[in-house]
Amino acid sequence: MSAANQLAALIANMFATGLLDDQFQQLQMLQDPSAPNFVSEVVTLFCQDGERIIGELAKQLDKPSVDFDRVDAFVHQLKGSSASVGALKVKNTCIQFCELCQQKSKDGCLKTLETVRINFYELRGKFQTMLQLERQVNGFPPNN
Amino acid sequence: MADSHATDRSEYSSIATRHIYTRVRTQALKGAVEYQERRIRVHHHLKSSIFMASRNQGSAPRALVVEDIKVDCVILMHMLHKLNCEATAVENGKEAVDLFLEGKTFDIVFSDKDMPIMSGPEAVAKIRAMGATEVKIVGVSADFGGREAFMQAGADVFVSKPVKLETLESMLKVVISKKNMSG
Repeated sequence: MSAANQLAALIANMFATGLLDDQFQQLQMLQDPSAPNFVSEVVTLFCQDGERIIGELAKQLDKPSVDFDRVDAFVHQLKGSSASVGALKVKNTCIQFCELCQQKSKDGCLKTLETVRINFYELRGKFQTMLQLERQVNGFPPNN
Repeated sequence: MADSHATDRSEYSSIATRHIYTRVRTQALKGAVEYQERRIRVHHHLKSSIFMASRNQGSAPRALVVEDIKVDCVILMHMLHKLNCEATAVENGKEAVDLFLEGKTFDIVFSDKDMPIMSGPEAVAKIRAMGATEVKIVGVSADFGGREAFMQAGADVFVSKPVKLETLESMLKVVISKKNMSG
């Protein structure tokens, strides 16, 4: 299968499995010749930021006395950026996470952090594959 | 007989799976072509409508983006540039207030709600208290409770995240026509 076909199938699969919602299509529609790398820049930024936030959340929840307001602030950031890129599954998990912060449930937050981590890294892996395929479609060799 | 029946079923299942896979792939490719065509149409429409509006006015609308989440900031700035705005970005409410204190003027401000150092509603209240009553201020948040906080602070309108390009376009048209009328 050609890289273009693989790319189309991958993106279709990400929508079909609930990883992405139509906000991602909005981003794709914003890409144009004046900003040919817009989607890859946004996706890369989201992945970097998401990883940083998840690290911060783990640190905060590892403290003997958890500052749930601080945890909530980090979750809110991840929720916001997920919504902006169309990362539906991550966003929905963040919504649950916010509720657990309001309830000040450390166990609940820890369990949900694990779910966020799994969903985020699943999405990140697919985004990385997507970017590799885009490079091939555009005639660049894949990054190794 | 039973074995051959099981083999037929297995072959049928394999063929059916291949057909389903081919159908999904074809639909995906068809979808990819359709979205590409839609993207080109949206791009040309936006360039012509806001470009004509701002050309008639003589200068591009000046927008200020107050947003601490980098992804959100990059997307909003890109949309504003696409709509031929001169856009400036700051990371929190205090930086926005500082720009106004320096005498900078904007036609429209897009402010997130929860930010470090100074929140969006707090910044909006301070900007209005300075006498900046003409600038259109848009509160933006993923938190629906943000509407009340922004409107009480003096924002003109609240939109929930993620902001749609069409929403931005219609807001900017209002700003541009107001500028045209005031000459």
